[in-house]
Amino acid sequence: MASLTATRLVFDAAAGIAILFAGVMVIHRNPVKSVLALVVSFFALSIGYVLLSAPLIAAVQVIVYAGAILVLFLFVLMLLNVPEEARQTSDRPIHRLLSSAAIVVFAVALLSVLRAYGSTASPPGTGAATAGPADIAAPARLLFSEHLLSFEALSVLLLAALVGAFALARRETHP
Amino acid sequence: MITGGIPLSDVLLASGALFVIGLVGALLRRNAISIFLSIELMMNAANLTVLGYAAALHNLEGQVVVFLVIAIAAAEAAVGLAIFVALFQHTETIDVNRINLLKW
Repeated sequence: MASLTATRLVFDAAAGIAILFAGVMVIHRNPVKSVLALVVSFFALSIGYVLLSAPLIAAVQVIVYAGAILVLFLFVLMLLNVPEEARQTSDRPIHRLLSSAAIVVFAVALLSVLRAYGSTASPPGTGAATAGPADIAAPARLLFSEHLLSFEALSVLLLAALVGAFALARRETHP
Repeated sequence: MITGGIPLSDVLLASGALFVIGLVGALLRRNAISIFLSIELMMNAANLTVLGYAAALHNLEGQVVVFLVIAIAAAEAAVGLAIFVALFQHTETIDVNRINLLKW
């Protein structure tokens, strides 16, 4: 069996929490509770990002995703006062079929991975590879040197999205 | 392939589970904002895969890509939610079964 290190245990626990609350998000029919469940899921995911030696992305995940994007969702939900979805059966059969197919495909992948664990003594590629020190400066240096153009283009995109969102959501005062 | 004690298969399985949950949500929910949330979840699953491979291959480009994706997701959320607000002002609903003007 694969070795169980503390890092792996923490990662698996964080991933489990993320998956659990993602399930809660999909199941809940009240959209406000869905958003709150997704916040928990994204927080757990950012713990996983730290363990994958990406602390910068973990911070961005918490600040931008959980902090800004989901608060924006919550804000719009409260603005629109969306009612809970009514329980409804036997509509959209194709969608049911497609989602069942997706679950089956994932189950097959899961089973094949588990079987691979069982057959070999250790997972392929087991080595003494240790993660490098969690470094924030290195990806930032890469972002501001080699990928500077993408970074600047991104700022233009965000400005365009800001103006576009304003133009879309503005209420027409005179037709 | 192991990154600091985490096998890559764990990362990929978690990412696959999150993606499937998001896909099921996007297909089965009828509230447009819930569908949008499910799409965000799928995007996060993709980010997790990219970061897993970036850590396994000791490559920093993956982190840069994920950074750009998160920023683009912010822009997308702003525009998408503005569309929902405009839609709600127009039709008083965001139930995707009742928004069928373009459906033949």
